[in-house]
Amino acid sequence: MTPRWTATGLSQDLPKGVVMAGHWQGHDLAVWRSATGRLQAWNDRCPHRGMRLSHGFVRGETLACIYHGWVYGAEGGCKHIPAHPALTPPATITVTAFACVEQDGVIWVAPADMAGSPPAVSGVQPLRSVSLTCDLAAVLAVEPALLGQDILRGTVQIDGQGHDVCLLVQNNPAGLTLHALCGVRANKVAASHWVENLRRRAEMKVAA
Amino acid sequence: MIQLYDYVLSASCYKVRLMAALVGVKMDLEAVDFHPGRAHKSVEFAQLNPAGTLPVMVDGDMILTESTAMLVYLAKRAGPQWLGPDDAKSAAQVQQWLAFSGRLAASLGMARLHDMLLYKGDIDAWRAQGHAALRELEAALTERRFAGGEWLVGDTPSIADIACFPNAALSQDGGVSLDAYPSVRLWTRRIRALDRFIEMPGIHRLHELSPTPKVA
Amino acid sequence: MIAQEVLNEWYPVAMAAQIRAGQRRVTQLLGQPITVELQKGAIVVTGQGGALHVTEAYGHVWACPGTPAHDLFPIPEALEPCRRLVDVGVVRVKCSPLRAVENFLDIAHFPFVHTDVLGAEPHTEVNRYEVQIREDSDEVWATKVTFYQPQAAKSAEGGIVTQYMYRVAAPTAAVLYKTCPNRTDAWDVIGIFVQPLTEELCDVWPWMALYDDVTPQAELIAFQQMIFLQDRSILENQIPRLLPLDPGMEIPTQADLTSIAYRRWLKKRGLTYGAQMVAA
Repeated sequence: MTPRWTATGLSQDLPKGVVMAGHWQGHDLAVWRSATGRLQAWNDRCPHRGMRLSHGFVRGETLACIYHGWVYGAEGGCKHIPAHPALTPPATITVTAFACVEQDGVIWVAPADMAGSPPAVSGVQPLRSVSLTCDLAAVLAVEPALLGQDILRGTVQIDGQGHDVCLLVQNNPAGLTLHALCGVRANKVAASHWVENLRRRAEMKVAA
Repeated sequence: MIQLYDYVLSASCYKVRLMAALVGVKMDLEAVDFHPGRAHKSVEFAQLNPAGTLPVMVDGDMILTESTAMLVYLAKRAGPQWLGPDDAKSAAQVQQWLAFSGRLAASLGMARLHDMLLYKGDIDAWRAQGHAALRELEAALTERRFAGGEWLVGDTPSIADIACFPNAALSQDGGVSLDAYPSVRLWTRRIRALDRFIEMPGIHRLHELSPTPKVA
Repeated sequence: MIAQEVLNEWYPVAMAAQIRAGQRRVTQLLGQPITVELQKGAIVVTGQGGALHVTEAYGHVWACPGTPAHDLFPIPEALEPCRRLVDVGVVRVKCSPLRAVENFLDIAHFPFVHTDVLGAEPHTEVNRYEVQIREDSDEVWATKVTFYQPQAAKSAEGGIVTQYMYRVAAPTAAVLYKTCPNRTDAWDVIGIFVQPLTEELCDVWPWMALYDDVTPQAELIAFQQMIFLQDRSILENQIPRLLPLDPGMEIPTQADLTSIAYRRWLKKRGLTYGAQMVAA
């Protein structure tokens, strides 16, 4: 598979001091925002005993593992091992960092050496992320106005009016996730209902 | 003192322990050997609660066997602001969520008992119903966020939030991940950050709230 | 194909009291279906190929699907008349049975996973302790382990520096000895007996032999279940699910000497059910 930028969440869902699980093409990631707002995406595995770092906790500019409290700082280097407070951890203890960029209210991830910027999604505002139990084909089949592959875009009827929507496609191990954005003039509650209805129609199509 | 017949791993018992801690009410906890002893199904326990469920709250001559009723009792006595706003719509919405919390228990709660304590039943159905309930909770909390709201009803946390919190926060114990529910995740964090919050097994302490220890 | 070394070991498969009370347990051992039940007053474990070797000890039924390489390990303390023996009950965990045992041997996680009970920041340091593989019994032992604990046991009042000894007595069973809050001349004994259902799924049976004649049984059970359920959410989120025996896969420190010895002991004895040999 060609490496490309993947949307793994919306900025609004990752405040300062929070870590969440993310994904890039089958890789599990811990995506986190430091106290000052710095965003990072790392391999979701503490090198010590394999615990998911997305279950960890953010203190200041560091992410710590929930299991033994190992502390990781900028670029994934281990800064502190609580069981040995006086020890300076060897520089070889690192978590693999991914490229992580915030743009248009969307959190994008890619391998660290990825060149260029994520695709722009202008003219729309972040709405919400939803997961689906069906595949993308079912979504496209019930809403022909949406065009595209990784970025679905089109004008759809929300509250009886045509509004621009944009759905960023993320294929996770557990299924399909869509990060939805909508036209700036659309009512967010109505747009949210439209997204839920789209999901319902697509999943029912598969069930039938 | 209020007496609570309690089991440490029960989400419903925790709901009441948490509420009591938040409003500052001390209770006398009576541990019941729910597992492996199944003491809640014993003849002795049936005299207290014929339904054989936990928790049971006893205060004087009052016996309560529904955890949401216990939330009302604790809030009314020690923290009326936890009952939610007084207008008709808000009061009804609080009741709506108290009833909805029963759906979380009947789906996510059962999936958890299946995966953890080997309860027999249709695990796929419980997980599917759990996802369906979480989708409703996620939609409601997301719409509240659009309007700047952080809690299920009103501008402050209420018994509605506490009623729904345990089974939502423990969903992974039953094999249901919260990864796909960002608004639910942020809401559970807000509850875990409340002053006087207490945890239970499966819901870890927010260590970020305590300061980094000084390194010698 | 499961190695003969694995098949010739003893594994816990049920709580004896439940089987004696007439319950029939349909379960798995090493990926094979088994049934544990009472037949004419005797506990019988039946697999696809017939009856398994059975023994009853420490509140539990133990089975060996092969030819037992040795008797079940002894816990002499279990026979002391004044001890309270507590069957804590089964808890299922989606992890390798070996990861469940390794976590039981670990103290460095106490401040973060059992916060304000078995540990608390800033008391995170793990002092040097001694680890050996005892030749006579072929067991892994860790001794002279100490750790500061805010509430070491149900009967403990306030924080104490607790002393521990750890012992791996079988591939999926370990026992710890820790400071008894009520007596200076004896240890509390806590066991973790792990039934490998498959390589990535296990039933865990914690068990205790305590000097505590005050605390109600239900509270003792609740305390130990609380501790183990705090571990469960860790165990279900370690990657990979299998325990890596390849030294390059995970990074231990001096605090992990017991875990290092356990992994070596498993590898040397060919007890690799639930283990990952090479990095995937």
